[in-house]
Parts: sequence; structure tokens; C-alpha cells
Amino acid sequence: MRDRLDISMRANHVFFAVLMGIGLICVALAVAMNDTFYLRLGTEALILGGLALSVDILLGFGGLLSLGQALYFGIGAYVSALVLREVPSFWLAMAAATGVTLLAGIIGGLIANRVRGVYFALITFGMAQVVAKVVYNTRELGASDGLIGVPVLEIPLGVITVSAGDPLAFFLLTLSVLTILYAAVAYLFTTPFGRVVIALKANEKRVPFLGYNTWGPRMVCYVVAALVAGITGALYPMLRGFVSPELMFFASSGNAVIMVVLGGVGTLIGALYGAVLLTFLKSVVGSYTEHHLIAIGVIFIFAILFMPKGIIGVAKPSLERRLIRFDEQTDAARIKATGERA
Amino acid sequence: MESYLHYVLAPQMLNGLALGISVILVALGLTIIFGLLDVINMSHGEFYAIGAFGALALSLSGMNYWVLIALVPLLMIPLGIITERYLIRRVYDGADRHVTTLLVTFGLGLILEDILKILFGPNTHRPANPLPGATDLFGIVIPTYRLFLIAIGAVVILAVTFVVYRTRLGAIVRAASFDRNMAASLGVRVGWVYSGAFAFGVTLAGLAGVLLAPVYSVFPTMGRDFILLAFTVVIVGGLGSIWGAVIAGIFLTQVQAISSLVISPVWADPIVFGVMVLVLMFRPQGLFGRMGHA
Repeated sequence: MRDRLDISMRANHVFFAVLMGIGLICVALAVAMNDTFYLRLGTEALILGGLALSVDILLGFGGLLSLGQALYFGIGAYVSALVLREVPSFWLAMAAATGVTLLAGIIGGLIANRVRGVYFALITFGMAQVVAKVVYNTRELGASDGLIGVPVLEIPLGVITVSAGDPLAFFLLTLSVLTILYAAVAYLFTTPFGRVVIALKANEKRVPFLGYNTWGPRMVCYVVAALVAGITGALYPMLRGFVSPELMFFASSGNAVIMVVLGGVGTLIGALYGAVLLTFLKSVVGSYTEHHLIAIGVIFIFAILFMPKGIIGVAKPSLERRLIRFDEQTDAARIKATGERA
Repeated sequence: MESYLHYVLAPQMLNGLALGISVILVALGLTIIFGLLDVINMSHGEFYAIGAFGALALSLSGMNYWVLIALVPLLMIPLGIITERYLIRRVYDGADRHVTTLLVTFGLGLILEDILKILFGPNTHRPANPLPGATDLFGIVIPTYRLFLIAIGAVVILAVTFVVYRTRLGAIVRAASFDRNMAASLGVRVGWVYSGAFAFGVTLAGLAGVLLAPVYSVFPTMGRDFILLAFTVVIVGGLGSIWGAVIAGIFLTQVQAISSLVISPVWADPIVFGVMVLVLMFRPQGLFGRMGHA
């Protein structure tokens, strides 16, 4: 019997490798053509992809729709900006953002985890909106203007030092951070613990009868999602040099949900595909008209009606069949070679 | 002390009541759509904005405001029926109804908001007040229009409750939402009941938009700010409960009104939200159950 989760994750990894390949080719082209705009746009797409990844952790694996995931993204971004304005240290900013989002995620989880389904969606929506409004009205946090003047960073990475002002270097750094986050989350869901989370999504009432705690895994799932959002959020001010309360508002959370649905719910990698697609779409449509919301809304509704599994969902089943066939062939070859019986 | 009561506390509470009635009107539509169709309508705020803009546009073309109060909600009915037939029904029987219907209406909200921006521009409009001036109510001075808002809102809320709980039509609708197969086998045209219930909720949002246009400014994203409060009211009252929405609506707006006398109004939102969290701690399903289900 083949492990479906294992096959599914390997298919995701293939898609991840494809995205990496495409990304690196585009980067090579951009460097060859001396472009910085598309490099920075690509970096932004990846950062927003981290937020979308965090939404997919909750929606695709925990079965919980969060309409306020931008809260943690914003917290990460604000903490990072506050630290960087005082001490321009990459590692300190990342550590502080991680610590604060961990704490915020635990508090938010304690509140949101009391409810399920639509109540969960609405309470996460409310939490983000209220915190965003408080930030919007707090002068110490820059109020409606946000925090500006985040210095251009020099990031020491062991042997080399890269500058956040260098589009290529910062793109590669962001790509590395996303790769680490993706790998960590993908690994987490293949562990027995991750399988309990997936089981909870399938049938919450049955899991306790098998002797598992339901509250704990869901809580950890929520906090992990918050951390992913917070860590990628911390990269945002390094790219843009400022943070604004809009980062936390519903538009950001809603965008992340759109990205996940476009890319494919429950695939982890779909979030990144969706983020790249939506960011570039916005940039292209936005250069013709400021009314790009209509285009995005129409595409989004079409995706839900006619392509409910997203881009990845269309291509994934055939890839999975291919992977299974490949497994069977290698098994057969091994049995033939060693003469053992299956 | 007497003067504080007369000139500060009482007007503040009455203004809070006017806001509360308005929020209840918006929340009623949300809660009816959820209670009867099991759908969270994320585009509800945009329907509310459409009502306000409809009133604005028609009054600019010279129509009487009092006609608009009846006309604009009627114009919302086809919009509601089309949305239910061609968007919600398509995903209604899918695997995860709550999430997909929520997402579809969210997408619709994006489109509607941008259409409003294209038609009316992003700026804020201020329609003329049909009842200018203030009324002296037992020594408490309050803008006349707000008094009218409280009165008509109360009438609408009572009428809606009466229709849902005390008439044959309401019984049919509740039966269809409780067990649609059973209702269908008794001859109820369930498809029309669902369209009608959704259109009814949208109509209420439109009505709230018309009524509130003279009090609050009209702008394309006006629904977004208001909808958070309406959602909070619906959650505290219990999704799908009409009385829950009424009680929670009045309670929360009074908390907001009175607390903003003592502290900065900026913190009123977090306090209201804090009340919601507290309620959810002890009653995750809200204060009251769902209509047709309890």
C-alpha cells in the first residue's frame, strides 16, 4: 500500500523544484537585461507567498479558513522595522520578529481555537481588523503613515555579506528563507504529529476516540502558521524600506486567501504559485487601469467555480500517477536484481 | 450630575442607539442569510454600500427621499436573486459549503466595490439630510433624523421578526432551512425559498444603506468598516438568531458609546471586540441558538 501523503508531498516537491527552476531562469534573464524592477517584484511575490503559505497551512491542512492571517505578517514586519531602525542587524530583527509572532500566535490561538468553521473565519477577521485599527491610530507606531526610514541592510551570512539593497542578492536570500520554511512545514506534516492535524481536518469527532488530543495539534498548527507569516513579514521592510498599517488590513489577508485558492488549497506549493501569479497579474493589469480588483475578483470567482483545486490541483493527479508508476518500476527492478519476493 | 446626564450621557446613549439600530439592520440580513441558507455573505457590506449609493444617485436625479426608502430596497431584490442563483447555488452542494460560499461572496464583494469606484469615484459623498434640525426630547436634544432612524429601524426589526416567526411564509422558510428534502416533499419550492431568503437579506442591507446615507458619509469602501461591527454583533448574538442580533447589537453599541465617553474612541473597537472574545469563552455558539434549529 502506497502512502498517499508521501506521494502527495513528493509531487509538491516536484512542483517546488519546477518553480525554483523557472524562478532562477527568470532571474538569470533579469540580470542579463540589467533589470531591477522585476527582480524586486519577484522578491515581493515570494514574501507575499510566505503569507499565502501560512494561510494554506491552516486552510489546506487544518481545515480552518483564516481571514486575518495578515495580522501576523504585519506584526513580523512592524517588529522587524522597529528593530532595524534602532539596530540595523538582520539576525536580531529576524529573531525579534519570530519571538513576537510566536507570542502573538499563542495569544491569537487561545482565542481563535475556541471556535470552528465560519466562527473561526470571522474571529480571525475581527482580530486582525482590531489590531490593524489600533496600529493605525497609535502615533508611536507611525499611525496611518506607517514606519518609514528603515535603513538598507548589510546582512552577514557566515562567510559572505549581502546587501538588502542589491536586488539579486536579496531575491536569493528571500528564496532561501522561503525554501527553508517550505521544507520545514512539508516535513512537519509528514510526521505523526502532522498526520494528526490532517486527521482532525477529515474527522474531528473520531480523532479523540483514537486517543489523540485535538486541542494541542490544532494550536501548534495555528502557531506554526503565525510563525511562517511573521518570519516572511520580517523580510518586508528590508525590501521596501517601510511598513504601513495596510499590511494588516483585510485586503492583505484576503489577497493571501485568493493566492492560495488560485494556486491550489492543501498543496503548500500552490500558495507560492498563486502569489507569483497574482503579484505579476496585479502589476500588469495595474499598469493599464487602477481598477484591477474587478479582474482579480472575476478570476477568483472563476477559479472557485471551475477550478476549485487551483493550478496545482489540475496538474497534480497525473504527476502523482507518474510518481506511483515510477515507484513500481524501481521496486520491480530491485526485486529482479536481488531476486527477493515482494 | 443632572446636567451631565442630560447633555452628555443621554444624547450619547441615544446616538449609540441610532448606531445600534443601523448595525442591527445590517446584521439582520447577515444572520437571516446564515440562518436560512447556511452561507456567510462576505459581500454584505458592498450590498449595503450599493443601497447607499443607489439612494445618492436617485436623489441627485431629483427623486424624493421618502420614495427612495421603499424603492431602493425593491431594486436590490433582483441583485440578490441573481447572486443566489448564479453564484451561491453553483457551489452550494460542494464539499465545504461554508468556505466556498464565503469565498465566492468575497470575490463578488471585490468586484462590486470596484464597480462602485468606477461609477462614483473614490471620493466621499454627503447626501442631504431629509429631516434637518434637532428635536427636544424631554430636555435631551437629538438630531431629528436619528430619532426617525431609531423609530423606523425598530419598526423594520419588529416586522422582520413577525414575518419570520409568526406567518405562514416564515414557517415555510424555516421549514425549508431545517430540512429541505422534507420541505420539498411537502410541496415547498425550496429553490425559490433560498433565492427569496437571500434576496430578503440583501434587501435589508440595501435598506440600511438608504437609511444611513444621510447620517454617515457615502464612499465605496463604507461597507468594509461597518461590516466588522455587524459580524461582531452576529457572532455575539449567535449566527442565525434574530433576537440575538437585536440584543447584541444594542448591547455592543451602548458599550461602545458609553466607553468612548471615558476613554479615547479609538479604543472602543478593541473593547467591543474584547466583549466578543469574552462571550465566545463561555458560549462559543453565541448568546442564542440558530433559527429553525432550536
